[in-house]
Amino acid sequence: MSDARIEGYARALFEIARAEGSLDEVEDELFRFARSYESSEALRSALTDEMIPAAKRQAIIEDLIGGKATATTTQLVSMVVGSGRGRDLPAIIDQLVLRASSAKNLEVAEVRSAVALSADQQTRLAAALANATGKQVNLKVVVDPSVLGGIVATVGDTVIDGSVRTRLDQLKARL
Amino acid sequence: MNTLIRIAHLVTSTGEPPRQDSQGITTKSWILPEKAEMIYGILAALIIFALLIKFAGPTIKKGMAARTARIQKELDDAASDKASAATEAAGIRQAKGDIGAERQRLLADAALQADAMLADGRTRLEAEVAELKARAIADIDTARGRSADELRGEIARLSATAAERAVTESINDATHQDLIEAFIQKVGASA
Repeated sequence: MSDARIEGYARALFEIARAEGSLDEVEDELFRFARSYESSEALRSALTDEMIPAAKRQAIIEDLIGGKATATTTQLVSMVVGSGRGRDLPAIIDQLVLRASSAKNLEVAEVRSAVALSADQQTRLAAALANATGKQVNLKVVVDPSVLGGIVATVGDTVIDGSVRTRLDQLKARL
Repeated sequence: MNTLIRIAHLVTSTGEPPRQDSQGITTKSWILPEKAEMIYGILAALIIFALLIKFAGPTIKKGMAARTARIQKELDDAASDKASAATEAAGIRQAKGDIGAERQRLLADAALQADAMLADGRTRLEAEVAELKARAIADIDTARGRSADELRGEIARLSATAAERAVTESINDATHQDLIEAFIQKVGASA
């Protein structure tokens, strides 16, 4: 999909979420769904297979996040998948998150951790990242077991890697 | 002539008196004819000899000359043949000598070629052996290096796997929280 079309879908989702008055929550849910989508080959295959009818793909979305996310989030994802743009869902959502952060004058900070962060940890980490980068950040936490331990934070082009995985890779390279 | 007759008469005379046969013919010798008969006989013989000499002599002389010439020719031919044979024998002897010399030369050439081929083959063989030896040494070195590299790689892989497993198994919730807190403090202090 072209950047213009991705941008168009992102703008549409952004406007809908803002109109619904649940932009922060929807943005966060969509971001986490996008990361799950990226890490699951089976989910990607199911949502991008054009041999599967759109209604059935939308039913999969409903079954998957219907009871866990807000109705707005579920409907937005269902709309994108139903229109046959499931393959571009992560890019659309990332664009939506960027747009939402820009609207709040925030920089997106993607944080990957092996375990979930508490609210307190997220607050302190956001403050620490703002202190380190000089920008206010919109923290997006992704639970990624491949990190093994520690945190990998990406703010714009800056990557702060404190993960066990990276240290093990460095050790492996030295060996 | 008379003397001859007289001598013959004395030789043949037996001292006996002349005898007379049944027809009344008287002979004085039992072996010699009468004088007139001898004279006529001798004259006839001489005439015959003279005729023979006159008429048959040239033919006989010519035949003898021809025979002499033929014999001479045969002698000459024999001498010529002998000379040819001698020449041919000399040629054969020379050819035999040449064949012997050629044989010696061929044998010498063959020996030289054999020596050259042997030397060449030995040199080539030595070169091939040296090349094979060098290649084998290089292969051994390569295999040794590869084995060492593979061994190092395997050790590194096993070590990394073991380290990852040890780290993974040793990380519990408390460790996770410690790592997260350490990261937050480090990032916060890095401004």
